[in-house]
Amino acid sequence: MTAPRKVGVFLCHCGGNISDVVDVRAVREFAERQEEVVLATDTRFMCSNEGVCRLQDEIRKRSLDGVVVACCTPKMYEDLFRGKAAEAGMNPYLLEIANVREQCAYPHRHEPEKATEKAKGLVLAQVEKVRKLRPLETKTAAVAPGVAVIGAGITGIHASLLLAELGHKVTLIEKSPTIGGNMARLVKTFPTDDCAMCTLSPKMNEAYNHENIELLTYAEVTSAKRTPGRFTLTVTEKPRFVTDACVGCNKCTEKCPVSTAKAPTQVPSEWEMGLAKRKAVYLPFPSALPQLWTIDADHCFYFQRGGKCRICAMVCPAKAIDFTMAAKERQVEVGAVIVATGFQEYDPAPLKHLGFGRHPNVVTQMQVARMLDSMGPTHGAVARRSDGKPATSVVMVQCVGSRGTPGDPLTHEYCSRVCCMVAVKHASLIRKAQPDTEVYILYNDLRAYGKGFEEYYTRSMTLGVKFVRGLPGSVRREGERLLVDVEDMLTGRRLEIPADLVVLSAAMEPPPVDGLLAALHLDKSPDGFVKEYHAKINPTETAIKGVYVAGCAQGPKDITDSISQAGAAAMSAAVFLGKGEMTLNPIVAEVDPALCRACDRCAEVCEFEGVRVDPERLLAVVDETACEGCGKCAVVCPTGAITVRQFRKEQVLASLDAMAPMAVMP
Amino acid sequence: MSFEPAVAAFCCNWCGYSAADQAGAAKLEYPAGVRIVRLQCTGMVDPYFVLRAFERGYDGVLVVGCHFGSCHYKSGNHQAREQLDRVAPMLQALGIGQQRLLMTAASAAEGPVFAAKATEFVELVKRLGPSPLREVAR
Repeated sequence: MTAPRKVGVFLCHCGGNISDVVDVRAVREFAERQEEVVLATDTRFMCSNEGVCRLQDEIRKRSLDGVVVACCTPKMYEDLFRGKAAEAGMNPYLLEIANVREQCAYPHRHEPEKATEKAKGLVLAQVEKVRKLRPLETKTAAVAPGVAVIGAGITGIHASLLLAELGHKVTLIEKSPTIGGNMARLVKTFPTDDCAMCTLSPKMNEAYNHENIELLTYAEVTSAKRTPGRFTLTVTEKPRFVTDACVGCNKCTEKCPVSTAKAPTQVPSEWEMGLAKRKAVYLPFPSALPQLWTIDADHCFYFQRGGKCRICAMVCPAKAIDFTMAAKERQVEVGAVIVATGFQEYDPAPLKHLGFGRHPNVVTQMQVARMLDSMGPTHGAVARRSDGKPATSVVMVQCVGSRGTPGDPLTHEYCSRVCCMVAVKHASLIRKAQPDTEVYILYNDLRAYGKGFEEYYTRSMTLGVKFVRGLPGSVRREGERLLVDVEDMLTGRRLEIPADLVVLSAAMEPPPVDGLLAALHLDKSPDGFVKEYHAKINPTETAIKGVYVAGCAQGPKDITDSISQAGAAAMSAAVFLGKGEMTLNPIVAEVDPALCRACDRCAEVCEFEGVRVDPERLLAVVDETACEGCGKCAVVCPTGAITVRQFRKEQVLASLDAMAPMAVMP
Repeated sequence: MSFEPAVAAFCCNWCGYSAADQAGAAKLEYPAGVRIVRLQCTGMVDPYFVLRAFERGYDGVLVVGCHFGSCHYKSGNHQAREQLDRVAPMLQALGIGQQRLLMTAASAAEGPVFAAKATEFVELVKRLGPSPLREVAR
């Protein structure tokens, strides 16, 4: 047997919160009598400077190798006390908290005698556990410099700029040929009606030119490897088939035969939300960055017809077309990652009663944003798609794909938050530009929650936007127009509103980034967006240390909130990188090689790739950087070879036994 | 003196234990016979812990984890469910009765749920009477 332990018990009065209920003196006298307890003492406030000094003095004076602090929940001060114990020279993992405030003094405050007896049990449980604890070693790992930001919309750009300004090397990775994201499509932004491009473009340029930002466009993260403090991302850069020699003269696009009137291949422009066609060689939009044209091999006649068409190469004055270009893979090594993958607009086609996809004059808000752009497909006119005639009646429908019935596979249960204001914005813009056009907003609840939103909404009413509370039962064709059938819930009247254009305020939904999330071991919350570490107090951190999330990747939000969260994520990443090293959690699984028989059960139940069987040594091996310490493996292990430190069977049972009826005699 | 059940409550660190903290902080009351054992995750609950609790004279065993779908470790509570489903028939066979074992969920925000569930379970155990092993344990 080893030498007896020297356990100190420190009882906190919590200024009366505990001591008004629990007879602290009786508990102290009880604790003093326990085996291996060399000291039991009480203090008014353990968390005060006085209490902490006392703890450290006693640890030093008596060479304590076990401490129980009976106070509030360990979630409050466990870290503080462990840190202070470590400063005094004791292994911090030999300190445990007996939660006599939240678990005893508070809930049993009307039964002081029972509370005192229970407090004895709680203290004894931790004394017994501490007697069985083993010191744990904390390891640190160096954090690699540099940060990768995935997604170059407004969120990713803003986060990148902040980090770059702080001196961090940023790799900004964007899957489309240009940076800018969805915001670049928006024309105007609520509630100020600022021109979206006027606010976004300078930031795009700054990011593009910043010496600390390396931009990888038309590139995707295809896999990721995590070692302590370091992420190695494999980034695949898709071939543009246009070299950096491109001078941006647009001759290739002008001559490209794809999407011309006679061509069999018509390619809808992603940028224009399908309202216009684009060529196979294209620049997504005039101020796209980098100003590099891209050939879309899926539609280019050179690739689709065995090299027959080479028109673009022939007209290019800079000889920038290179059909032999291949995808390039590169490794990006960073210490932190910010996921800013944004959103995509929900496709309302499955909601048959709204007619999207069947009637060309049923469109989405994002498409109307494009119509309102003077450089866009309709040159700023909100017009019928069927014949191009200006719309004289526009009906907007809210909550399309949002706020659906729980469990409905066609819609999302969440509120997309921005659609109310998007509809108000577009309705106001239409009223201003086309005063003869009637605009109706059919809504369920109108949520004008942000700064300046209510005023913006009120102003839209003075502009003549009509609000009808109720969502339509059907949208059907009547001659050249559409007829929207809706019950006005405020008057109980059934309305049939004729419309030239029905505009659906489609939900924001997560883009298809499952592969990326799997590579980074990130979870999704039930709504499908990236799961944050804590929805309330850690909204930008994730369960993976060093990986942060910001903007619509985390959930629907407007530009203001995206910018705020981008700043928060950049700050969190900067703090993490700035420390230069990270502490590895020692409370993880450990394998006893003498007992392990390499059956692989532990690896089967592990959710984190935290343990695997080494086929050569025939032994389960724990990856201490991946193991989360949940202990599932310990339960399924047939030989008891694998256990979680600090939660070994004998340690858990020591506290269970100590509180058992037979152990605590009144 | 009336019978006051002793209940071992295995709580996961993230939901059950935090819910109990929240119940306490909100000054909600539940019987003092509830004794909480803090685990990282209910996935750590070994069938043996349950048997040991009865062996040591507890009258009931309560397991409080996260709601399904929100386990901090993804699936620990599912494993707990499976393990407890295995141990329940044993309790029946031993004459302890499977009603004395209950797994439930309370999120970190659900202090009132914890207090209500704990109270309800203690009431149930009270009606069942002392565990048949309790006298043996003494």
